[in-house]
Amino acid sequence: MPVPADNGIEVEDLVRQFKNGPRAVDGISLEVKPGEIYGFLGPNGAGKSTTVHMLTTLLPPTAGIARVAGFDVATEGPLVRQVIGAALQEAALDPHLTGNEHMRLQTALQGLDREDRRARGTELIDRVGLSDAADRKVGGYSGGMKRRLDLALALVHRPRVLFLDEPTTGLDPQSRSALWEEVTRLSKEDGVTVFLTTQYLEEADQLAERVGIIDAGRIVAEGTPAELKAEIGRPSVEVVPRDPARADESAAILKRFGRPVPAAGEALGVRLSEGIDELVGIVRAFDEAAIELASLVLNEPTLDDVFLARTGHHLEGDEGAGDSGEIPLPDGATAG
Amino acid sequence: MNDFHPGSRYLSAAFGVTWRYLHNLYTRPAQFIPSLLFPLFFLAAFAGGLSVVADSPDFGYYDYTAFQFSFVLIQASALAGVFAGFSIASDFELGMGRRMMLATPNRSAIVLGYAIGAASRLGVTWVLVTGVSLLAGMDVGGGGLDLAGMYSLALLGNIAALLFSAGIALRFRSLQAGPLMQMPIFILLFLAPVYVPQALLTGWIEPVASVNPVTAILNASRSLLAGEPTGVLAAYAIAFGLIAALTVWAITGLRRAEVAG
Repeated sequence: MPVPADNGIEVEDLVRQFKNGPRAVDGISLEVKPGEIYGFLGPNGAGKSTTVHMLTTLLPPTAGIARVAGFDVATEGPLVRQVIGAALQEAALDPHLTGNEHMRLQTALQGLDREDRRARGTELIDRVGLSDAADRKVGGYSGGMKRRLDLALALVHRPRVLFLDEPTTGLDPQSRSALWEEVTRLSKEDGVTVFLTTQYLEEADQLAERVGIIDAGRIVAEGTPAELKAEIGRPSVEVVPRDPARADESAAILKRFGRPVPAAGEALGVRLSEGIDELVGIVRAFDEAAIELASLVLNEPTLDDVFLARTGHHLEGDEGAGDSGEIPLPDGATAG
Repeated sequence: MNDFHPGSRYLSAAFGVTWRYLHNLYTRPAQFIPSLLFPLFFLAAFAGGLSVVADSPDFGYYDYTAFQFSFVLIQASALAGVFAGFSIASDFELGMGRRMMLATPNRSAIVLGYAIGAASRLGVTWVLVTGVSLLAGMDVGGGGLDLAGMYSLALLGNIAALLFSAGIALRFRSLQAGPLMQMPIFILLFLAPVYVPQALLTGWIEPVASVNPVTAILNASRSLLAGEPTGVLAAYAIAFGLIAALTVWAITGLRRAEVAG
């Protein structure tokens, strides 16, 4: 499907400073192409939701310019709201209304033609798999059902730009996968531009065509997931010596194989100079030094590595979503 | 995106808000029934307990139940507006306000939707209050046009109270602001000639009542019920003036809510 040329998002030096507070968003600039899925990745409190709130006209920017589908969010709010759909972090649903009644409300708020309302509501309820629960009050829905209903509500007026603020947080893997499929379909088949915030690396990696990484209100990296990971290039290894007293010796061994990188907790990390082939050498070196290892983890470059390289710390909230391959060590055994 | 006419779209959004407001009101008796019992309690307490006031030689009104009915009608109508203000605050506190702000291109449609809802609920209230008053023996002196005028004044009171409450609700966006919506309306209502005609008021309440805008509306309402309209145009002018000022109050409240995000 051809995508209208003005379906994109342009942001220039966007700032949001709360009263007596820090700059939640500190001069970000980005561009989302029409029909693209853009992943906005960052830890809790990085400024993702504040950015979405500004782009969806829920919050006025303190400074800077943002245009959504060609309309300025600060001065053309009503026009922006006509062309966007949004499913925010906390699905704002009325527990006293059923799924169908929510559809009735949303289609009225969006000003759908009366004849179109019921058909559109039924179509979307069906598309998100809630037909059986459509006449039940939302107060009894599970978290996943609420998320799906929220997505359906965001789509009633066939928006050109869709904002999804951490849409899969708290969802089970099956619901997460179903939502990814639907978002991909919206972009590919309907030409909808999707701006998706997430703290899950896997989500950004799999879903987004381009990713912006935000930390402390600033964009620290931007590009396709492949481009960003290519910046890091080589894999890293993290080890945890069983005896913490031998950490310095362990660090010295690792240093022979590449540049040390920050690692979580008591782990010691190194970016391998020559690539994965050096893994055998590392294991052998620890064996020769008779240093027992509690764990040894090989990390292929991930978006977390990009984040780590740019900010010096890991993303929060991502649990095992990277491409790391832990090599299990038997209790008391030395590596090698 | 649909290409619906902006005016139709505006009204569609307002009616959507109205529909949900009334739907939740009438499907939750715990919320609706107290708002009906409230004016009936006042009617019973005042018209029943204070009817001897009408025996005063200077009372000058034809029927004490009718005298109190006019007050209770305006009070019940105003409180219906205040209760709608509670709903606005609740919606913003619990997140539905954000959904409406996000989905409605012209956000003043949200306030209009609640206003239509608050006015719509008056039908049931009026039928109940009027029915109970008639059963209690109230005489109606005015004709159809007089009564239409009386109910119209009550409607304007309802709109004014809704706009005042909406302004508070949108500024605070929390049900904790409930007393701030209710108390000023209550005080204003009770600083009018509630129990006796204005001419019988003495002490500090007399000058206060004379400048209270509710006094003019209440006096006009009573005169219409009696079939002897007096000061009706002034009452309408005051009511419309209040609505104009409170519309500015409500819309600036909406702007505050928009800025707060």
